[in-house]
Amino acid sequence: MSAPAVLRQQKTPLLPDINTSKISAQDRKVRSHTQKKSRPTTDNGQTSHITKDEISLYRNTQSQNVCVAMLREGFHHSFEELFFLLRRFEEARRAGGPDNPLWYLPSLQDQPDKLHTLQRHLTKAEVAFRAGNFVEVYEEQLTLARYFTGPGEDWLSLHFHQQALRSAQRVKLDGGRKEAEANANMARVFLEQGQLDLAKEHFEVFYRLSQERPWWDATGRTLQHCACEGLCVVYTQLAQGALQSQEYELAIEILNKAFSIAKEADDEEIQGQVAYWVGLANHCVGDLDTAKQYFSMSLNITTVLGDTENQGRAYKAIAKSLESDGKLAEAVQHLEKFAEVSRSNKQQENLEEACMSMGSIYSNRGEYDRGLEYLQQAYEIAKTVGNVGWLQRAQVCVGMTHAQRMLPSFSTHTTNATPDHIRRILTWKDRRQDTFD
Amino acid sequence: MSAAVNPLSNPKGGKKLCELCHKPAYLQCTKCRVTYYCDTAHQEADWLSIHNRVCQMLRPVRTPAPFHTLQADRDHHRAEIRKAQEKLISMSEEEARRWLFEGRCQEALPAARFCLRIAMETHGPNAVQLVPAYLLLAEANVGLGSLSLAEEYLSQAEWTVLKTPDCSGALRQQLHRNMGSLHNTTGNLDAALQHYANHVYYASEEYGLDSIITCGGYFLMASVFQKQNKIDIVKSLHKKVADSWHGHLSKLMEKRMKFSVHQTLSEVQRCEGDRTLTDLLEEQEKMNTSSAPNSTHCDFNSAHLLHCLAMLWSLAGSWTKALQFGRRALVEVQRVKDHELTAPIQQLLTWIETLPNTLTHTPAITH
Repeated sequence: MSAPAVLRQQKTPLLPDINTSKISAQDRKVRSHTQKKSRPTTDNGQTSHITKDEISLYRNTQSQNVCVAMLREGFHHSFEELFFLLRRFEEARRAGGPDNPLWYLPSLQDQPDKLHTLQRHLTKAEVAFRAGNFVEVYEEQLTLARYFTGPGEDWLSLHFHQQALRSAQRVKLDGGRKEAEANANMARVFLEQGQLDLAKEHFEVFYRLSQERPWWDATGRTLQHCACEGLCVVYTQLAQGALQSQEYELAIEILNKAFSIAKEADDEEIQGQVAYWVGLANHCVGDLDTAKQYFSMSLNITTVLGDTENQGRAYKAIAKSLESDGKLAEAVQHLEKFAEVSRSNKQQENLEEACMSMGSIYSNRGEYDRGLEYLQQAYEIAKTVGNVGWLQRAQVCVGMTHAQRMLPSFSTHTTNATPDHIRRILTWKDRRQDTFD
Repeated sequence: MSAAVNPLSNPKGGKKLCELCHKPAYLQCTKCRVTYYCDTAHQEADWLSIHNRVCQMLRPVRTPAPFHTLQADRDHHRAEIRKAQEKLISMSEEEARRWLFEGRCQEALPAARFCLRIAMETHGPNAVQLVPAYLLLAEANVGLGSLSLAEEYLSQAEWTVLKTPDCSGALRQQLHRNMGSLHNTTGNLDAALQHYANHVYYASEEYGLDSIITCGGYFLMASVFQKQNKIDIVKSLHKKVADSWHGHLSKLMEKRMKFSVHQTLSEVQRCEGDRTLTDLLEEQEKMNTSSAPNSTHCDFNSAHLLHCLAMLWSLAGSWTKALQFGRRALVEVQRVKDHELTAPIQQLLTWIETLPNTLTHTPAITH
């Protein structure tokens, strides 16, 4: 029996030698306790070295890997912030319920590139924080705030803007410029989200900080200028809201503030817009003289600037105020100019409105022909645009004017009651022409 | 207490093995008659550690089941045995933990081994309920210095946790904590950091970012970073730990002072808090003496820590220590001229001093 065994040993073995593996069985038993998972053997006996890190990368969730990586380097503030944000995201998703569109978006935990971006920037920010370099912290947080622009992420962006503001407030060496910029960012975010009061607060702080400071932003305008512009926008929106809820006094107060700021900023465009709104507010209150004053101011500015859209708006407003005043001729003049402007601007809606108003003024005054002219124009425009509401309105007005024009002759015919006249009335009723006589 | 037992006179096939070492047994406990030992040393050790508390409870568990004719009776008996076993597991776990707290690892070993054995009998050799027992054994062995045994137990625990994918976060964080401590002791700092990081992650998931357990994790990480000489990380972590403890203790103190609710810290937390805060205080004082005296925020931290310690001892009921720390804190705060902390410290001191005299004289430690 030993001869075949000897022979076998001299040839190269076909199969792997299982006897030798028995020798190291003791070794393997001892090793397996401690390295059970880190040395899996493949079929041909080669051991592949996979480290514990790689295994945990595969086994754990993405967010856990990122968190653990941050903690291992010692960045525990970044870890806390990331953990907190993930939790809040989940809660927001769950609170929305299946009706909320957030439910169908992938969770932040499942988006590895976003997690990695967060990790990178948060760790850089923490390093800078420990070194006391708050400018860099501010920059990193601002990058993160601008990175999150997807749906359902606006609160993330806002969170980072707030953090940026806090770090900007700790920057001591640049005279508060970063703080001002941070306030401006926050205010713009709030404006986008529609929270006008908060936006107003932050714009006011920005304005206060940037007064009299020679700072310029990327496009070459002074920061003070930007502050004024922002404030005016917020004020006009607030005033619009107040006008809609009929708090006229409040609206006027806000708008006067806005106007003074616009004047200070020395910007014609903003002044023109603010003047328009002031006039409107005064008009609503009933103070027509001041309204007209502001409207004419707005008109002048817009003509100078060549801003035809707002020019048209101004013309319309003046015409309306003149109309309510009773000065119809002037009103008509302005409406004609409005129509001209809208025609050149190809704004069909405005043109249609202008024609309708003029037509109605003329027909109210008794000048049915001219009135008809304009009303026909309005009808044509309504047809081309295809707006059913306008079409019907125009049809009604045209019909009314026709009828009113016909009325005197018709009534004389009926009162005369000669056979000739009656025959004419009957033929007219048969044929239903537009004109009578 | 003990009756002699001759291995030769045991019934055929019945081997009586020692509780502790599993060698043939020569002694029998006369109180319960179901526990055997190889010699008196083992018997005494076991009695001291765990047997004095579980002696009578072992009798129904270890005697073979009586013959019941009805299935209902048999089920009832099984349910009773199961309840007894669960109670034994929890009691032995508690005992082992208590020994480990007091630092007596040698006495903790029999208790932990007993816990493991009962858990194995109840739940099977691969169940997740064995993990706490494994962790206790590992901790005891680390305390005694037998690191290879500890490593073995911990790897068993890890394997069991791996096999149960729906294992709770609480268990996982404990496991990672112990593994981190082991690697820390053996000197493998990277692995220690990884395990501590996992521990903090799971603890934050289970208990929240500001809980004491997470803070404990941060403190352990700080010790590793100190060995690696990364001082700024250490400072940052220590500050975080101090702040969390301060917050937690302030909340408890407020409840205690306003509503006189006797919700004090558990023994575990008190011990841990004491250790952590005294270590931090020593660190601060070392830094204060070594670095320049114009770094004010270090002094702020030491006032902070003294306040924490005062609150801790007053919650634990040891009034003299609380008063001592409170007065020291007040002195520090006045030196640094920080006004935020003066009011709370004053409030605490007045509250302690105005307590009824009977309480201030007896330093009872409430649990």
